[in-house]
Amino acid sequence: MHDDPGETELEEELRRVAARFEPVPPVLLQAALDAYSWRTADAELAELVFDSLVDRDEAALVRGGDDGRMLSFHVGGLSIEVEVSGTGASRRLIGQLVPPQQAVVDIRHGGDVATLETDELGRFSSGTLRAGPVSLRCSTGEEANRRRVVTDWILI
Amino acid sequence: MEPEEAARLARAAADGDPAAWKALVERFSGLVWSVTRGYRLGSADAADVFQTAWLRLAEHLGRIEHPERIGAWLATTARHEALRIARSTARLVPVDDVTLLAFGQADENSPEQAVLDTEQAVLDTERAAMLWRAFAELSARCQQLLRVLIATPPPNYAEVAAALGMPVGSIGPTRARCLQQLRNVLVRDDVSESASSAHNKEK
Repeated sequence: MHDDPGETELEEELRRVAARFEPVPPVLLQAALDAYSWRTADAELAELVFDSLVDRDEAALVRGGDDGRMLSFHVGGLSIEVEVSGTGASRRLIGQLVPPQQAVVDIRHGGDVATLETDELGRFSSGTLRAGPVSLRCSTGEEANRRRVVTDWILI
Repeated sequence: MEPEEAARLARAAADGDPAAWKALVERFSGLVWSVTRGYRLGSADAADVFQTAWLRLAEHLGRIEHPERIGAWLATTARHEALRIARSTARLVPVDDVTLLAFGQADENSPEQAVLDTEQAVLDTERAAMLWRAFAELSARCQQLLRVLIATPPPNYAEVAAALGMPVGSIGPTRARCLQQLRNVLVRDDVSESASSAHNKEK
């Protein structure tokens, strides 16, 4: 053992030990590098403005219950409302664009993209997804005035 | 990393420079990992939180108000996601630490392995193991704080404050107290230490 190491010395030693016993897993370093390729520079970003997990009391008031997790993303007059259900490692999303409008929705998830079309009221529903980060990319309007929106990544 | 350099990298990455993104990952992944590990999440959840923080940053590049504080932004994002997941009952799945162990295995030719090889030469393995065991005995709060402080490369205090959701001013005193707690455990465990120093043991 060192002779009474100073605080900084002990901290530096601990840093080396932590780097050895608890390094950033290489697969996660790679995942962080890969995150860059998911960037959609040409789309508007709909930010998460409501999450019943965090704003639970408010959610209970609005919905009168707390089954399923409610999320709301918003940008420039468009909202994307999503309900997340499922337990363990499987999840399912049911959502709607507000104001209601038809759109193509890409579910970006687990390194993959699943494309689906909403009904005329902007409603959509995913298949079974594994728990993990997810983001929606929506494309609305006619070719001439196409609008592209991506949501914040969230962990479901 | 100087704040100006962090801001420059953030802007370059926003403009489509993958080398700048890589530099950001190298600079801040240790910090983000230390935050996620501080919440005692299962390994799958910790991995998801880590990944979500980086995915979110990728979409927010160029929209971040203070790019010079991008490290604090990442740390805050990771902390919020970790807290969120800790509240999610849907996430109550068995902890799978076997996966974590597998994550920890650096592959042989990686830079991580090179670091390990070098460290192995300079660091007494027994002492390292003893230190890590002592660390595991600290209070949850001390482990959480120290984990962030000892991230590689070292974060600045603003980043540590963001990672822990505590004011910058209370980091120094808490750090001192936690390091003292660690030293007390080390003294207790070290048979060569005199009985008098063991009296200083703090509960």
